[in-house]
Amino acid sequence: MAKIQRPEGSRRGLIWATGAFGAGVLLNVDRVPYWVPIAALVFVVWRLMAASQLRRLPGVIIRSVLALLLVAGVLVRFHTLNGLSAGTALLILMGAVKLLETRAQRDQFIVVAVTVFLLLAACLDRQGLVHAPLYLLHAWLCCVALAVVAYAPTAVSAPIPAFDDRAAMLLAGRSLLFALPLAVMLFVFFPRLPGAFWAIPRSDEALTGLGDSMSPGSISELTTSYDVAFRAHFEGPPPPPQERYWRGPVLHEFDGYTWKRTARSFASVEPLKYLGPEYRYRISLEPSARHWWFSLDTATGSPEPKVYFTYDYQLISKEPVKEGTHYSLVSYTSTRAMQPLAPLARRYDTDLYGNRNPKSRALAVKLRSGVTSDSAYVRTVLELFRTGGFQYTLTPPRLGFDSVDDFLFDTRLGFCGHYASAFVLMMRAAGVPARVVTGYLGGEWNSIGSYFIVRQSDAHSWAEVWLDGRGWTRVDPTAVVAPERLRRGILDILPNAVSARARFVWSQPWLGALLQRWDALNTAWNDRVIKFNFADQLHLLQQLGIKSPRAEQLGWAFGAGLVGWMLWIAWQVGRGAPRSRPDKLARAYIALCKKLGRAGVTRESHQGPLAFAGELSKYRPDLPDDVHSLVLRYARLRYGRTERESYLAEVRQFEQEVSRLALRARASETPHR
Amino acid sequence: MLVAGLNYANSTALFLTFLLTGFTLVSMHQCHRNLLGAQLVAATAQPTFAHRSGTLSLTFGNPAAAARFRIAAAVGDEPVAPTDLPPHGRGRIDLPVGAPRRGVVQIDRLHLVTTHPFGLFRTWTWVHAPIEMLVYPHPNGSLPMPTHYGNTAGARSLTNTGADEWLGLRPFRDGDSPRQVDWKAYAREAPLLVKEYSAAGAELRMFDFGALANLPLEAKLEQLARWVVDAEGGGERYGLKLPNGYIKPDRGPEHRHRCLAALAMFGLEDVQRGENPAT
Repeated sequence: MAKIQRPEGSRRGLIWATGAFGAGVLLNVDRVPYWVPIAALVFVVWRLMAASQLRRLPGVIIRSVLALLLVAGVLVRFHTLNGLSAGTALLILMGAVKLLETRAQRDQFIVVAVTVFLLLAACLDRQGLVHAPLYLLHAWLCCVALAVVAYAPTAVSAPIPAFDDRAAMLLAGRSLLFALPLAVMLFVFFPRLPGAFWAIPRSDEALTGLGDSMSPGSISELTTSYDVAFRAHFEGPPPPPQERYWRGPVLHEFDGYTWKRTARSFASVEPLKYLGPEYRYRISLEPSARHWWFSLDTATGSPEPKVYFTYDYQLISKEPVKEGTHYSLVSYTSTRAMQPLAPLARRYDTDLYGNRNPKSRALAVKLRSGVTSDSAYVRTVLELFRTGGFQYTLTPPRLGFDSVDDFLFDTRLGFCGHYASAFVLMMRAAGVPARVVTGYLGGEWNSIGSYFIVRQSDAHSWAEVWLDGRGWTRVDPTAVVAPERLRRGILDILPNAVSARARFVWSQPWLGALLQRWDALNTAWNDRVIKFNFADQLHLLQQLGIKSPRAEQLGWAFGAGLVGWMLWIAWQVGRGAPRSRPDKLARAYIALCKKLGRAGVTRESHQGPLAFAGELSKYRPDLPDDVHSLVLRYARLRYGRTERESYLAEVRQFEQEVSRLALRARASETPHR
Repeated sequence: MLVAGLNYANSTALFLTFLLTGFTLVSMHQCHRNLLGAQLVAATAQPTFAHRSGTLSLTFGNPAAAARFRIAAAVGDEPVAPTDLPPHGRGRIDLPVGAPRRGVVQIDRLHLVTTHPFGLFRTWTWVHAPIEMLVYPHPNGSLPMPTHYGNTAGARSLTNTGADEWLGLRPFRDGDSPRQVDWKAYAREAPLLVKEYSAAGAELRMFDFGALANLPLEAKLEQLARWVVDAEGGGERYGLKLPNGYIKPDRGPEHRHRCLAALAMFGLEDVQRGENPAT
């Protein structure tokens, strides 16, 4: 048997495959080191030049050396070949090297396959509304490339209706459209996992969001990011501005310089008496790689079993928030404790951990002795902040180890962290239990989507003090110094706090409105599509009337849907397939027979045209002569010998004469036999 | 892809996966539809000489209003030479078919394959069409051609006899002796032409099987085939005398075919006889 040759790839296939690959690289261009797309571009150009005979393709040694060098480059940069970024870089580079040895059709298929995986990598990384059309477009591009590559091997020349680029594009588009219903069905009903099989740490991503410690003194400039922390949709009316405190990590331990969360969780959640209005809302949390789930002030409980509700009303997830999450909560902004503070907790939250900040402590003791109650003392300290020449700034001077002393008696410049830190220390020094709460304050109201956008720049910290008879009470010392911080975002009071881009947006009201619209759309996309998960699936099934969906029920429904779709596709695709549709001449003849039938002459299905014509002349001499000659003409056109050109003209004429033929209806009479 | 999408609970990746799944299934239907309903209109195999490759010409018809692409055919193994069928049109595939020995090559079934449109699926079918290809004996042997009617002596070869009249050039046909090819013309990029001579006078040649007594059977047939080809190439009239029959002297392509067919089928009469090798 002859050696089977691998079919050569066509030039057209090469160009399409390379183009799709290039587009795939572009989709990933900002997630890989800059030299990766450059290398890919060089190889693409090289390959295309080789296709135009401008350059030779490299030999196997050069290719191997190139491949090894590039893998080494990825290793040096990432120290691993695992992970999304390293994997993507590797995929791009290997695909580019593969291009250099792409000759056979099979190689072109491989390039297209690599491109599909590049698309997948892009999908895994970014899922914004902007990207979705790009991804769809690229999927289509891959399909077109596949069609062109598959058409490639040409042994016989000159097919008349060549399967050209346009045909390939149409076909790929049509096929994807046909696939769409199935994709939607699978997307909605395909079983999702409540968790993950494995997790690849996305180490290349910087952590954003609140940390688990706070050292106001160490920060000389607070970088404020405009990134979204979460969005909050309220079912009823949203809370007023002075109540929009979003609770995050609560910090207890202070060494004089740094506030830390406690690792201990020694108390259970005390029952509370809830006052004021109840707020029901849903939070859409952005990924942060932190464990915090945020709530409006005091939540009533944990939304999910995997999230702890701690004694200081934090929501702490077992797993870091690696992907967008949403959850529903009920909160109150005003509470009363029903029991006195446990002695252990009291001791813990009045602890000063050493003897730092002696001047502040002395001041605290002095101020406390001047008033009769803890709440009066709180007012006194706030009065001190108001009248003591304190200023709000995001670029405070650095502080020494006695950070509160430095702040209170020296610099008097600081942001929320400084005030909260100083306030809590003053409380504790006077024996009032107090703690620092970090989180966010305020948020931008999006009236189109009716939700708050809370950004990293809204990060805030405040204090909670224990007042006997009331329990833990929120006190925000920053609000005393910069009361406008409550009502307006950080942009209003400190326009230089954020990036130039954010400032520009903020300065143009129409742009802001446009961006709000865009954010509303994006949020809907994120909530409905991107974050569609196991829980939503269950919810949807329950809405569809399946209260407790069982596997086999779902399987049957699923199978039925699949079969239905397959039938539909078979029908759609088969529409172009042959049917015993009569040709033009036969159609005209059938029309003629129909007319005759209405006039009372029915052609029996066994009668050929000649026999029929004979019967016509014999039994129905009353019919015009045209009829007889038309039937005979059909026989001649069908079975006789005619030139092709004149044949077509004659068929057309036959058709016209049939349509012009007018017969009087004589339906009552059947032909005589 | 599915695993990645599920693992990261990544909706976009999952949707992409499902979309491509659907796409693959659609392409399966399209691939099936590409072959479904294609008609094998005609399959003809021109007679060829043994030790050469014959050609099986397949003509496909497309009764549908949609074009079909990349339909390949094979006799048994790897398909070659795909063709495209325009709407309501036809396409042709020339398949090489090996002809190892004289007689009849029986092709029982054809393998039709297409991977269009995306190369993801391969639709195939068998066409059971008994096709026969007649294989003439390989023209071989160096014995001189008998000169005269019934005369087996008298050596005279065509090409080295100056007495023949120059008739002209005609296109190359299978079986023509390379010595008769006008290589000079070929070198000038003309098609492969053969110099034709008419034998001096209207000589009749009778090739007698019985006169080649001391050769094995196949060698005899090959020698006779050589003579027939050469005599036809020389524009002579010739006849054939076989133990089981006699073909009157004549000339022309049909006569040539009759003689060569008789040689091809000699001794193989128990095999089903193909009167007309084209079906």
